[in-house]
Amino acid sequence: MILTRLMDNLTGRGDAAVTVPPLDGALRPNQALDQAPVRLPLAGADCLAVAAGAVHVSSGMALYRLDGVTWSVVRTCEAEITCIAPIGDDALALALASGRVQIHGGQMDGREIATEARCITAMTASGSSLFLANGSATNTTDDWQLDLMQRNSSGSLWQIELTTGEVTRIATDLAWPAGVVSADSGLVVSEAWAHRLTRIDLANPAARETLYPDLAGYPGRITKAPEGYWLAAFAPRSQLVEFVLREPKYRGEMLATIERDFWIAPRLRTGGSFYEPLQGGGVKQLGRLKPWAPTFSAGLCIRLDAAFQPVASLHSRADGQTHGVTSVLEHDGQVFAAARGDGLVIALPAEETRP
Amino acid sequence: MSMADTFLRWRYRVIPDHLLGEILAKRWIDNAIPLLILLIVIAAFGFAIPGFFGLSSIANLLRQWGEFSLLVMALMIVMVAGGIDLSVGSTFALGNIVALALLTVGGLPWPLVVVLTMACGAAVGLVNGVLVGYLRLRAFLTTLVTLIIVRAIVDMLLLTYSVSIASTFIDSEAWYFLGEGSIFSLPVSVVVTLVIAITVHIVFSRTRPGWSVLATGGSRRSAHNVGIPVRRVICMTYVVSGTLCALAGVLFASRLGGAGADTGVGLEIAALTAAVLGGNSLGGGRGSAAKAVIGSITVMILVNSLVRMGVNSGANSLLLGLVLLGAVAIDVRFLKNKHKLLSKVYVSPTYATLPTAPATTAPSPYAVNDRLQGVELIGLGEIDGPEDVILDEDDNIYAGNRVGDIIRFLAPDYSRQEIFAHVGGRPLGMAFDRDGALLVCIGGMGLYRVTKDRKVEKLTDETNRSLLSVTDDSRLRLADDLDIAPDGRVFFSEATTRYEMAEWSVDSLESRGNGRIICYDPIRGTTRTVLKGLVFPNGICMANDGQSFYFAETWACRISRYYFDGPRAGEVEVVIPDLPGYPDNINRASDGTYWLALVGMRTPTMDLAMKQPGFRKRMARRIAFDEWLYPNINTGCVVRFDDAGTVVETLWDKKGDNHPMITSMREHKGHLYIGGISNNRIGRLKLEGMDPAWTGPDNYWRKA
Repeated sequence: MILTRLMDNLTGRGDAAVTVPPLDGALRPNQALDQAPVRLPLAGADCLAVAAGAVHVSSGMALYRLDGVTWSVVRTCEAEITCIAPIGDDALALALASGRVQIHGGQMDGREIATEARCITAMTASGSSLFLANGSATNTTDDWQLDLMQRNSSGSLWQIELTTGEVTRIATDLAWPAGVVSADSGLVVSEAWAHRLTRIDLANPAARETLYPDLAGYPGRITKAPEGYWLAAFAPRSQLVEFVLREPKYRGEMLATIERDFWIAPRLRTGGSFYEPLQGGGVKQLGRLKPWAPTFSAGLCIRLDAAFQPVASLHSRADGQTHGVTSVLEHDGQVFAAARGDGLVIALPAEETRP
Repeated sequence: MSMADTFLRWRYRVIPDHLLGEILAKRWIDNAIPLLILLIVIAAFGFAIPGFFGLSSIANLLRQWGEFSLLVMALMIVMVAGGIDLSVGSTFALGNIVALALLTVGGLPWPLVVVLTMACGAAVGLVNGVLVGYLRLRAFLTTLVTLIIVRAIVDMLLLTYSVSIASTFIDSEAWYFLGEGSIFSLPVSVVVTLVIAITVHIVFSRTRPGWSVLATGGSRRSAHNVGIPVRRVICMTYVVSGTLCALAGVLFASRLGGAGADTGVGLEIAALTAAVLGGNSLGGGRGSAAKAVIGSITVMILVNSLVRMGVNSGANSLLLGLVLLGAVAIDVRFLKNKHKLLSKVYVSPTYATLPTAPATTAPSPYAVNDRLQGVELIGLGEIDGPEDVILDEDDNIYAGNRVGDIIRFLAPDYSRQEIFAHVGGRPLGMAFDRDGALLVCIGGMGLYRVTKDRKVEKLTDETNRSLLSVTDDSRLRLADDLDIAPDGRVFFSEATTRYEMAEWSVDSLESRGNGRIICYDPIRGTTRTVLKGLVFPNGICMANDGQSFYFAETWACRISRYYFDGPRAGEVEVVIPDLPGYPDNINRASDGTYWLALVGMRTPTMDLAMKQPGFRKRMARRIAFDEWLYPNINTGCVVRFDDAGTVVETLWDKKGDNHPMITSMREHKGHLYIGGISNNRIGRLKLEGMDPAWTGPDNYWRKA
């Protein structure tokens, strides 16, 4: 075992391999996100959900509702909203950075449940239960890059019984669960740092099945769509990041001595400063950044079929303007995506996103 | 600095990692494995056979080796050109009988006999050569047929002359001296062979015919395309081969003086084994006299020792066959994997720590601003990569481009452009000399001059070879920027001696002092390296005192001053030790200060990687080239500094729309002209408060 690992480290095989799957097949790059006809700026736009027939989005401490093409604030919380999820047709659950879950609208309007989770990245309601994904046991949602660089796998899944308010933990040791959706008799969780979609059976949470392994990006929130699911991959994987993850000495010094904005790490938006790292293919040629350039940020939404296999995808490439898509959903024949990296929500006809 | 850092720094200072790659890149490293096999063979038999190193044993071996080695040499010459000569054994036997017959039956004097016999061998070679070279028959089959035919001729000659040969006594001391005499206690045959081996080595490594043979074997089609007479070259290799075989036959005849039916039988297999075992490629293009010598010694020892150990002749041949098989396998595998090994070990980063980068926010002199916002654009989309820009006295702009032209934009509005000269390589730094001719450093070519009437002349493309460098560093690989001293001497930088221009980023990964500054003296016509071990020396600019120049070391992020004349001659003084970015070209400003282009900015992650050579080495091995961590050359700026090294001002293009990277800038009549090596425009910025009449050529050459 140890010998295999030593050999792998020497030759860069097995676990030491830094390869990233190519964007091909259903993930072939396009510019669909950048070419979306509707582009609505909203700084910090993060999590999308539909309630009472309207698209809602969280941004910072506020919850916005989309009326036509304008945003209106419908609620302001005392802490940052880390994610939202619909309950039934007319209510929303809001998770706060403080660990509280508030219900907005519907019969249970104003209800508040306290949890121990401090890093709620995604929620999904099923029946009278609300399931919570807690990204990390030690870091908050804002510290996601730190959690990746620490190579943590301390995320957990929680269940809130809405009728009683009872909170139970149903699964642990997940690698930053960043999205959760209920399917059949279980839950499908996107484990971002393990680049996979994992199915967890509620009857037997210890038994896990990998549905979609080795994604080319870090998978985030998943939403149910009429013909399957939508998955938002909030940042692309890169060989350089994979390599740094396997270099404990460099990584340790980087975390200790360099500002987070300038790390070699995935991010929601690159190019903010010349102190950020640059990769070879990212050198501007003749005044232009090439779309295929290696990048630490991009936009990627993946359309999954009912078996959680990719069928089509929407991209914003290295030179695009729709990076860091943290949430995507389909509503009323339109696909909405919140690009947190660029602070906007885009919409395009669902018809155009079919393969 | 921590203990670990100190240790790391010393480890990289003491152990020259880069030498391993450079040694592996040498052609003679191919001999390493054959030499190792030879040493193993000597050790093994020296141990197994008592008296192996005895005088008589060695003398006996040597005499035989002289003849055998000539055959191997003959076969090697044919193999290098991509062919094979199976008739070496038969020609050897023919040489033997012809020499004896001419001496005894013909009664000719021995020098004539030697010449005629060699001519006879050459004739056999010519037959092979015409058939294989001109008529393009298969070498293997053709020489197999010659083997049989020549052997038949030998047998016929034997029938006719063997009796008279055996019955005649040759009365010539000189003739016996050939076979039994010694020169400086070495057998004559050995001396002859060594002389021929040295000649072959010189021909193959230093002369045009030898290169033609290697080129033909390496790639027949390419050799044909560059104008080598492929057919004649191939034909000639067979002629030489036949001649050498016949010479070996003469030596054999002189030593034993007898002709038998079994002379030279099976020798071709032994010679082939020796040639391949020595590392001569069966496919052609790779081979040398040294390889032939090593291979022949190995096989000689092997065969003789086995005989002395009492192994019977069948087993002997079997073993020889197995050795040949093994040698072919090693030959194929080594050739296939050598470049892989080389690519793994050639890149060898070193420990390079940089001083803390100054801030780029106020009140730092480097504070970010948007003063390049107002540039006018010249040649947008029409010029591909103007690394350097320069203006003549008539205000025309000159700039190099990526396809090897020097483009001239015509004053006054620069909307028209023309190709001033096509130089072929990548034009980099430029300067005007006293006569108004344009001197230009061309990447991959050297230092050139383009006169006013557009004649392109080479000034120099090589310097003195360093005494202790493994690679031959006399040729200029990446002449980068130049400036001209008042007395006409040209000082120019060569950024790196280890990489080509397109691989500049690999050099940045190494950050070793791979570069140098070279002086070309037009009066004496000499080129001499003046400063070595510089970290990617880039821009060069004469200081106003006329006795020194400033130079930029890009990956070291510093500006230094070198005094070539005056009381401080020979001194190097660091002027700015801690730039926040990577310096490129330096040029004079009108007020006695200097403009400096920063091609990119330092990033904290790259600075950290500089202190971890192992990290960079693994990165180079594991990650695709396009994914490497690079110095950030997507944002640059222009800095102005004075003789004291104080930064006076900084000009930024904050958004990076027009000048993401800046490699050069030139002040001319109150404007600043800006170029970038991967940009597609030249920027022109009006300068406030600078002398509106000042021009570079005036300042350099028409001063009072």
